[in-house]
Amino acid sequence: MASEVSNTPTQRAVENLAWKLRRRQIVGSRATALETLLVLRHVISKSRFSNMEQLVTIIRGVGRRLVEAQPKEHSVGNTVRKVLHHIREEYHTATRGSAAASYSGFSISKFVLLGQPRKNTPLPKAESKGTLKENDPDDPDSFARSLKPVLMEAIQDVLDELETVYDNVSKNAQNHIHSDEIILTLGMSKTVEAFLISAAHHRNYTVMVLETAPSYGGRDMAQALSAAGISTFLVPDSSLYGLMSRVNKVILGAHAILANGGMFAITGSLLAATAAHAHSTPVVVCAGQFKLTPLWNLYHEYGALDFGDPSQVLGFEEGSLVDKVDVVNPFYDYVQPNLIDAFITNDGDHPPSSIYRLIKETYDDEDNEL
Amino acid sequence: MAALELMPAAQPALTTTEAPPSTSSSQPSQKSMSKAERRELQEKQRAAKIAQKQQPPGDAPNKPKSKPKPVAPQNPTQPSGADASRSKDATSAPTMDAAEMSKSRNLRIFSHFGLPKHGPGLKGDIHPCIVRLALQFSEFKICGANARCIATLTAFKTVIQDYTTPPNNTLSRHLMTHLSPQITHLVSARPMSVTMGNAIRQLKLEISGSDIDMPEQDAKDLLCQKIDDYIRDRIIIADEVIQDLACRKIKDGDVILTYARSSVVEKVLLSAHKQGKRFSVIVVDSRPLLEGKELLKALTSAPPVSWTLSNDSLLPPPPPIPCTYALLPALPSLITEATSVILGAHSLHSNGAVFSRAGTALVALMAKQHSVPVLVCCETYKFSEGVMLDGFGKNELAPSHLFRDISTSSQEPNLEILNPLYDLTPPSCITAVVTEVGLIPPSSISSIPMALGRISL
Repeated sequence: MASEVSNTPTQRAVENLAWKLRRRQIVGSRATALETLLVLRHVISKSRFSNMEQLVTIIRGVGRRLVEAQPKEHSVGNTVRKVLHHIREEYHTATRGSAAASYSGFSISKFVLLGQPRKNTPLPKAESKGTLKENDPDDPDSFARSLKPVLMEAIQDVLDELETVYDNVSKNAQNHIHSDEIILTLGMSKTVEAFLISAAHHRNYTVMVLETAPSYGGRDMAQALSAAGISTFLVPDSSLYGLMSRVNKVILGAHAILANGGMFAITGSLLAATAAHAHSTPVVVCAGQFKLTPLWNLYHEYGALDFGDPSQVLGFEEGSLVDKVDVVNPFYDYVQPNLIDAFITNDGDHPPSSIYRLIKETYDDEDNEL
Repeated sequence: MAALELMPAAQPALTTTEAPPSTSSSQPSQKSMSKAERRELQEKQRAAKIAQKQQPPGDAPNKPKSKPKPVAPQNPTQPSGADASRSKDATSAPTMDAAEMSKSRNLRIFSHFGLPKHGPGLKGDIHPCIVRLALQFSEFKICGANARCIATLTAFKTVIQDYTTPPNNTLSRHLMTHLSPQITHLVSARPMSVTMGNAIRQLKLEISGSDIDMPEQDAKDLLCQKIDDYIRDRIIIADEVIQDLACRKIKDGDVILTYARSSVVEKVLLSAHKQGKRFSVIVVDSRPLLEGKELLKALTSAPPVSWTLSNDSLLPPPPPIPCTYALLPALPSLITEATSVILGAHSLHSNGAVFSRAGTALVALMAKQHSVPVLVCCETYKFSEGVMLDGFGKNELAPSHLFRDISTSSQEPNLEILNPLYDLTPPSCITAVVTEVGLIPPSSISSIPMALGRISL
């Protein structure tokens, strides 16, 4: 599908990102989402198209290329889907005027959501559009020329949302964390870090951070939190169950939120969520909406989708053991929806049961397969 | 730690006598610690004010980078920085007050965790072998309930042999007063394990029951004999019976999951392998002790060389036990493959709860969720009469100077590193306890010590 992207600089930008994704030079949901968005913006601004289908095909082609490069980074596909959704929305407002507001607005929940700030942005632009001509034989670029500024604006919206995601996730933090609580978290998640630090401005509480072997991201997290003035305990993963009886809340980060309300998250999350469930401790997940993924857990009910470097688990300094033993280092856990109590997103708090609705509203159904 | 000593030159460099973790002897009790801490806090604040005044304004933006964090070297397990004579250098930190406040609160949360007290010198006449043992305990050279119990009893044998009853006293009355400072010394190195407690209680009974009229040497020999019997009956033979019983639960093709390293579980797996059973083992492990590596070493080097036994012809040596190794967070991905879980125990409580190496409870919990049977191998001498409800009430912290990684060595004022050593597995997660009197459900634990008469040294 790369042939759709005719001009080479664009192609190069796409390939460049694809290779970076493949080599894991860009990791993390938000970083990949941002890079994808920048490439998409580049592609849209440079590519030539004379009707909507062409544009959608171009973007899908790019999206497919990037997703194939790194299928484990779900936020790449999500960003493409979101851009497609926004493009269609802009297109419909441009062609049909304000009537387009009813497009995909068939659910009553959508109606409720219109009251929320994020949804207000795309609508008022409907006025400024002139008439759009698709497939004009005299001037094939006229469609692109008239639509591009709007599209750029739409992409800018997505970009703004990505850039403010930490602030928006953590703006209600003090409603979730009370004074003198003991919070348990694990791994290194920027979202959770921002959330906890924001809560620390209003509340005095204690955080226990699991080391989260073998990546030991928890150590970075503990450093970051303690540097922000939160009293922090760094504990090994093994003490999870022993300490759980004193923990008031478990706050986790997510790698991807799935359509059934489950999520992929760093290994150890499932263990923490299960132990919390056994103690009836609430489990709260902080994540931006770009992590919403229209996927189900198609792999296995439990277990790894991705594997890390086994030498992190059993290093080569254990030379006599290495060749005799299988070493397993799964990267992600799948946490079932029944173990999660709430998702705190940049667009409000949601129970796992309503994630499917958010996904329906954020993406168009036809894009679920890119 | 050394990097932390670096301070901006502008600061009034007060005495930075850093106390290395091991030398902070004569640690005061928690109460006086917090008092000392308060005093230290005041002094730090005063120092901070001076520092703030003296610091040239140009220095300020430089500061966060060079990380001259206010509270100077501190040992995380002795977080109060108990001795006030220690470093009082403090830079200006506005959050300091709050940080110190919350820290003292944190200490309250964990104050009951046994912080390892380092040898309060030698009080009374401590037998050299006890001194050595205490060092081995505190350095975790001897670790594990069985090993510690056997080592303690063996050392006591030496102590008893070297003991002479002072004039105008009897052995049965006086020996215990001789032993109790030795016990105190051992406990100061590392909190006493339940096994040691049970064994010492039996020993006390034997001592007080020893015949007054018996010649001293005979009485000492008899006591040593009783100690040997105890080790043999309650630990060695018991382990053999447990091996036998647990092996029957291992079938060909099984995948046995175990956590960390228990001496009994190791013996069970090795003897099942020796019996020619073909099974594989998943070893799950976790910091701080990473004992699973020891188990792996034992399992992978299992068959000495030969095993080329001939019934009629030469048999090839059995293949080594296929082992998989993973850290605890990977457990959910592996538990689906396991057919049974075999765990060790530190002690067993009368409500059926198993007090064991931290992480065991997670393994048992996950196994229960996946309907994998959980066997706990535990000798009856590990039974403890109390009831425990969670692993938070009674626990022990690993001395962090022994298990610290490089990456965590830098010290933030609000950051503390805790390494609890134990946790409590609720009886609901345990299918059966393998003891030398048979496989019993955890609910009937309480009847067993009675059945054994308990007074059976």
